[in-house]
Amino acid sequence: MLLEARGITKAFGSFKAVDDASVTLEQGDILGLIGPNGAGKSTFFNCLTGDLKATSGRVLFEGRDITDFTPEQRAGLGLARTFQVPQTFEGMTVLENVMIGAFLRTSHRKEAETKARAVLERVGMSRLADAPARSLGTPGRKRLEIARALATEPKVLLLDEAMAGLNAHEVRLAIDLVRDIHRSGITLVIVEHIMEVIMSLASRVMVFHQGKEIARGSPREVTSNPAVIEAYLGKRAAKAAAGHTPVELMGGPDL
Amino acid sequence: MRRWIWLSVVAVFAIAYPLLLSSPFQQRLGALVLLYAIAASAWNIVGGYAGQVSVGHVVFFGCGAYAAMGSYAKFGLSPLFGIPGGIVIAVGLAAIIGVPTLRLSGHYFSMATIAVAETMRLIVTNTDWLGAAVGLSGPTVPRNIFDLSFLSSLPYYYLFLFVLVITLFITWWMTNSRMGFYLRAIKDSERAARSLGAPASRTKLYAYMLSAALTSVAGALYAMMFGFVDPESGLGILISVKILIMAALGGAGLLFGPLVGAAILVPLEEISNSWLGGKGAGLTFVVYGAIIVLIARFQPGGLLSLFTQRRKSKSDTESKSDTGAGHAP
Repeated sequence: MLLEARGITKAFGSFKAVDDASVTLEQGDILGLIGPNGAGKSTFFNCLTGDLKATSGRVLFEGRDITDFTPEQRAGLGLARTFQVPQTFEGMTVLENVMIGAFLRTSHRKEAETKARAVLERVGMSRLADAPARSLGTPGRKRLEIARALATEPKVLLLDEAMAGLNAHEVRLAIDLVRDIHRSGITLVIVEHIMEVIMSLASRVMVFHQGKEIARGSPREVTSNPAVIEAYLGKRAAKAAAGHTPVELMGGPDL
Repeated sequence: MRRWIWLSVVAVFAIAYPLLLSSPFQQRLGALVLLYAIAASAWNIVGGYAGQVSVGHVVFFGCGAYAAMGSYAKFGLSPLFGIPGGIVIAVGLAAIIGVPTLRLSGHYFSMATIAVAETMRLIVTNTDWLGAAVGLSGPTVPRNIFDLSFLSSLPYYYLFLFVLVITLFITWWMTNSRMGFYLRAIKDSERAARSLGAPASRTKLYAYMLSAALTSVAGALYAMMFGFVDPESGLGILISVKILIMAALGGAGLLFGPLVGAAILVPLEEISNSWLGGKGAGLTFVVYGAIIVLIARFQPGGLLSLFTQRRKSKSDTESKSDTGAGHAP
């Protein structure tokens, strides 16, 4: 077991954003977290990365309890993430952004630079190495986030809506990149709104609704689950939709 | 290449200045510029690179000043011996102040540092052992060269120049190390930096401690040159503000920003003081206030950023054509 969350609850005041969610992640998995807006998937995600402290529940990484670890400690263990709204280091070049990730495994500037260049090559951004990061558009920033995370040599990479704001062509390129990352042996957790992405990437899916897990299984199983359709579209629509394939209704894959 | 030419021009000028402009007033002015440049460069490490705007840096300045004068007044030693002591106290104090306050963001950190500085000033003002409101004096007549008590400003000028070069070298070395990269990253997005493994609190604390150590050296040098320290000259909030404005005016987060700021502000202050005499004492505050407003309004990156901006906008347009070429994830 690589990563495990047991009974995570995150409450803001009396409101439970995540209510008793558990998940296990095996080496080589691509776990998709889906659910309507405000379902609690990002909150759950942030409890895994350490950005938020769970109200109760435990997080284990390779059997070790990391519930009280800071984000930087988790990064050190091999847990990397990207942000839904890219958190680019605006005052730096693209290369320097990636070097920040590479510095986790070396304190030497030259080594970090060499490694960062290799990562940029891998994600196809080496031409932009010396450009100021703030000159990048959304697709570039999203890709830079992934490059930075890769430079930390993660075992698990958590992608928070890495494809939001991309057009169809860009999404396809991003899917290729994620597949390539997966092939290199990195386990992935992806939070995603775009169903096509989940359908084509995830090996397992977990569906959130109002803070609770309402379904889990293969992408196919989950999208034909009436509770899931209801959560996305409401009761009446779910009945009317009985004759259609759920994937169509949830916005994909017509890209 | 151009950078090296500029650097050598500045270096030659700095070395030749007191010989070319050799009146006592000019030499003293030069020494003061360098002294404040040291303090502002030290502040720059935490205020500029780490983006933690400390308004209480005079505390560390005071540590150095009091340690230097104290080593003479209390132990009969050369003020020089006070420098290591001042550094130790300043670094220890920085750790005590930094651990709780560096968690605070933005203005809250600044306010906390002001509170600490003012508290220290009041404590020292009421501590007889530290001379209370009268302060401590250095040797009136130098016993030997190690008392570093000179009538002319010339020896101070070269001493300060030497220390400034060391300070700038340390800063430059830091910005090229992992710590410097982490600081810049934390300044832009602490959350992202931490997610990539940068220990934000610890890195900021180290920067704060390094900055405190160098500021205390500046304080010790100041006290040696003037031969005394009292709560106002060693722990007054105005010194903090001066240091901060110099760095901000020249360019916070830029290696030579504080030097440029000091080279503009110190002469301005000295000249206005000598023109207006005692009447102008309050005017300094007005000028500082005006400068803060002007920097914030027109050039938040400081004067030196005018140059880097031009360079960057050039490379921006170059890379735009790259990004525009259908690059996408």
